[in-house]
Amino acid sequence: MKVFRSVRFNIFLGALIAIAAALGTFLPQVPDAPEKVSAFQQAHAYLFPLYNCFGLFDLYHTWWFMALLGLMAFDVVACKLWNKPPDAGMVALPPELTDERELERRLARKEAALRLKPLRARFGVPGGAGAAAARLRAALSARGYHVQEELRSDSGAALVATRHRLQRWGSYVAHIALVVILAGALVKCLFGFVEMVPVLEGGSRAMQNKPWTVYVDKFTVKYYDGTFTPKTFSSVLRVQDADKVLGAKTIRVNDPLDIGGVRFYQASWGAGGMFRSVALRLGHALLRLPQRVPTRVPGTPFDVTADVMLPNFTISGGKADTASLELKNPAVRFTFAVGAHKTAPMWLLQNYPKLCLVEDPQGTLSPAPAPPFQLASIDPVLFSGIQVAYDPGYKIVVAGALLWLFGTVTLFYLHRRRLWILAEPGGDGTEVTIGGWSSRAGREFEPEFKALAESLRRELGGRAGVEFFQNPLVEVS
Amino acid sequence: MATHLQILLIRAALALYVASTACAFTYLFSKDEKWSRWMLWLMGAGLLLHLGSFGARIDAFWQIPENRYYMPINSFFGALSYLSLAVALVFFVVEREHRLGILGAFVLPWTVVGAGAAVLWADPKVEGLVPALQSYWMSVHPVVLMTAYAAFANAFGVGVALLIQEHQIKSRKPSELCYRLPSIEELDTLNYRIIVAAFPMLTVGIIMGGIWAYNAWGRFWGWDPKETWALITALIYAGYLHMRFLKGLRGRKAIYVSMVGFASVVFTFLGVNFLSQLHGYLSGGG
Repeated sequence: MKVFRSVRFNIFLGALIAIAAALGTFLPQVPDAPEKVSAFQQAHAYLFPLYNCFGLFDLYHTWWFMALLGLMAFDVVACKLWNKPPDAGMVALPPELTDERELERRLARKEAALRLKPLRARFGVPGGAGAAAARLRAALSARGYHVQEELRSDSGAALVATRHRLQRWGSYVAHIALVVILAGALVKCLFGFVEMVPVLEGGSRAMQNKPWTVYVDKFTVKYYDGTFTPKTFSSVLRVQDADKVLGAKTIRVNDPLDIGGVRFYQASWGAGGMFRSVALRLGHALLRLPQRVPTRVPGTPFDVTADVMLPNFTISGGKADTASLELKNPAVRFTFAVGAHKTAPMWLLQNYPKLCLVEDPQGTLSPAPAPPFQLASIDPVLFSGIQVAYDPGYKIVVAGALLWLFGTVTLFYLHRRRLWILAEPGGDGTEVTIGGWSSRAGREFEPEFKALAESLRRELGGRAGVEFFQNPLVEVS
Repeated sequence: MATHLQILLIRAALALYVASTACAFTYLFSKDEKWSRWMLWLMGAGLLLHLGSFGARIDAFWQIPENRYYMPINSFFGALSYLSLAVALVFFVVEREHRLGILGAFVLPWTVVGAGAAVLWADPKVEGLVPALQSYWMSVHPVVLMTAYAAFANAFGVGVALLIQEHQIKSRKPSELCYRLPSIEELDTLNYRIIVAAFPMLTVGIIMGGIWAYNAWGRFWGWDPKETWALITALIYAGYLHMRFLKGLRGRKAIYVSMVGFASVVFTFLGVNFLSQLHGYLSGGG
């Protein structure tokens, strides 16, 4: 058990998680780029099985990576909850109040403890120790300090004063926040789902994780002028359970439809190869062709058929292919026929009107002279990529995030000051010794501490001159 | 118009930054306080021009209706411009609090590198945001993160100063520099203070990205290289803080750990562009 709470072990664990996470960014990952994983497999026939048996191609979902994260969460709990409370703050504080009865001994111990504080001040004030302690208490309360009185009598008094006490909880809250965030992620893994539902415009598709059907009544995409950069894309979406409409909305990126926590995102779109019609330019005339319907070319015995559309035409292995589902370089395949006699299919490209490629029965392409007709336009049927995600852990994650925000801001931005004050008879009145510590590093607190001691002395009408002492913080190694 | 203005202004700002850095180096080896003052004045003037350039960029950016009213830091130019601006601003804050003009020589080069890279290599053109980036998070998530990066750059500069000072103190013949630089303790504290201020920004910025991703893509976390590297950076700095608090790590060794953290910051900002399709400046994505 002890090992899990050791700082060394946890720093090692953190480093291990960081190294593993980094490794996953350099190797292709199946969820992001399955094609790159296949390419890696072909390029590294021997390495691939070795890497694969450690799950390096889906690293973030392997049991061992999950186990590392789980162990981290466990350790955070172990360190923060099972370690000796209360949290001593950022530096070890010397022992404080003890149970010993004898005042003398207690004061002596306190004095020894005070000597260990990074900052110390001493000054003399008139009057008895008890009265001085009471006035110090009032003076510190007025300066925003929370003062606890530990001892008070005329033979000696001790106070502890703290400002921005909340800061000490920052570390706890931030660590608990991490566990809450990981718990939210776990809830998502256990009870959530993500599925991609591509729906053709005007069509519908059934979901896998719910007995629901997703309808896309209209899909719109707009580009910035003269580019392929989308300006906006949106779907008029309707989700039904049989005949019952569960929800309907025009969704766009950053603005999903939410049905009881199941959210429908506009993720992508594309052209799958279907079209309502294409237009063929013959001289000045335009001939509209529906998909796969032979149409007579006016004034000729020819029937022409447009059957296949590729949205981003490319040639791979000598054959027609598409580089993506975006309408970047659309091409359509046409076949001409006179009666039962058919010509070889030919590809026309919308963006390159002078190009014509003829396809042989094996599908191999070869260039042909520019024909007297061109592909003028395409009216494609687009599909809208709807990502459906259900994440019941999200609210837990957000709660964890807020806790983290509170915790880290409290821990790092609040400045907790702590003063230990001892008033003992001395000289012709009372000797006041103040030990100071602050959550800020180094000497940051020193000017404030000196000014505070000086102003306390003045307020209590003490003799001029405050003695200051300090302990070294950093030694040159 | 606005594009020309932004280029003109950032070039002028860069020239002033270079002059300011030159003053900072002169100050390092000369006892004359006037170099420190010159450094600050030139720096301040450069900063004003740089702010003007960024304002002109915002104006040009908002000419495109879809970009209103988001911050123009989606492209490499915008990001570098903002980053160098933030480094200079953080330096001013540190300088105001600690009056350590001597640190200019260690921090200002980062401003010159950032603004210089923007002027020399990045495309200043403004373009319409892709739909995923049309979100108010665009004005928050990257701004918070880049401000944290800028603070880490400052901490790195302080770290370099500490290493030089330590070398000086240990050497048999410490040079003039040894007396000019602040004490090791002071530099160590400052390095720590800057990291402590930036660490919540870094982590909260990452979480904001998660909330945005949930609203845009339906997932809080996706182990995208940019996300992963930001997490690694946070882990390294968390390691630094724990070693400091719990193991009392100080001085040179602490600086080494914080420098590894800064290397990770640089990789998160630059290197990941070659790994991530989704999150890179090169792909124009989120």
